[in-house]
Amino acid sequence: MKHPQQNDNTASELMACHECDALQRIPALPPGRVARCRSCGHVLLRNPKGGLDRPLALYTAALILLVLANAFPFLTLDISGREEITTLFGASVGLYRAGMGELAVVVLITSILGPALLIISCLYVLLSVRFNKPLPAVRPALSWVSYLEPWGMLDVFMLGVLVSFVKLAGMATIHIGPSLYAFVALILVGAAATANFEPHILWQRLGIPGKTHHAG
Amino acid sequence: MRARDAGMTGCHTCGLLQRVPASGHAHCPRCLSPVHMRTPNSINMTWALLISAMAMYLPANIFPVMAVTSLGNTQSDTIMSGVIYFLTHGDWPLALIIFVASVLVPLLKMLALTYLLLSVQRKSPVRKRQRTKLYRVTELVGRWSMVDIFVVALMVALVQVGNLATIEPGIGAIAFASVVILTMIAAMRFDSRLIWDQ
Repeated sequence: MKHPQQNDNTASELMACHECDALQRIPALPPGRVARCRSCGHVLLRNPKGGLDRPLALYTAALILLVLANAFPFLTLDISGREEITTLFGASVGLYRAGMGELAVVVLITSILGPALLIISCLYVLLSVRFNKPLPAVRPALSWVSYLEPWGMLDVFMLGVLVSFVKLAGMATIHIGPSLYAFVALILVGAAATANFEPHILWQRLGIPGKTHHAG
Repeated sequence: MRARDAGMTGCHTCGLLQRVPASGHAHCPRCLSPVHMRTPNSINMTWALLISAMAMYLPANIFPVMAVTSLGNTQSDTIMSGVIYFLTHGDWPLALIIFVASVLVPLLKMLALTYLLLSVQRKSPVRKRQRTKLYRVTELVGRWSMVDIFVVALMVALVQVGNLATIEPGIGAIAFASVVILTMIAAMRFDSRLIWDQ
């Protein structure tokens, strides 16, 4: 049952396409290959080249960058000598103070909590599978990942930063804080990590628990 | 051959192909999440969320998303006036980005979902592949509409009380965020396999 990292190919598997329900056998994929649905073209399975080590390294880097992106000033606004410093968290706080708690929660989830949970969940599952250590709640953590993914919006947030920049440029001077650099790096590293992370391979490795499985 | 014809389905969470009882519902043995032959109430739920989003679209565009008070006079910004602001300042690339992300994408997304729902309800047998692609794009681009919400959040955070100017978020921002979130959940609830069931 144990897979000591020797086989980089995925297992051949009968699959149903998520989007069109076509039943098809996916052959064992060598590293770097992608399997697409023959009826609708949806990507069914990827086998990223870097195995589990590359996403593990990238998500570790992402976690560090996430901490850095939250630890220092993000942007500093300079209006005729008066400085206003804001952190990433400050974007949510500002909305909350202005009486828009609902919106503050949305921004908090999409800019900090969502990405943080996603990175931590991915790392947790990768560590468990990579080192054959059955950690508690690995399955729920991996299930989480697919639900969390659309709600992490760091790239969209970055576009928002650029737009605010231009909008405020006429009103004041804006200084870029160290956290903004970490944030940009986080987006790039995060994108690379996602591209190298295939949940399906992890599910294959985790397999079906025990022989006696009960619904519920 | 389709999985449904074999009495099977792929788990929505982990992909495991499995036999599903006649009820159409079970629990996945691999990831333990609920498994359905088709997303329960997919069409009704998608309609409900989509109509709610449409209802919010109007206030989202009429009410200001933020108000800038500078030297005693207040100027309110709606989504559209933000686009016009960039246009009049000669910043047409930015105007275009905001127009696409905030006006065009939500509108096209709601139209696309309406078309997909109607075509599935009319049991349309044509263009299945193209409709599946349309669905995929719809699901992917929706999140970019959030950009205006982040702009409001950043501006409010940066320009604070005590300065020459203050920026307050407007009620339109909440309506707009609801449009984005509702259409995102609507797209998630739509089961694209229904397109292929005819």
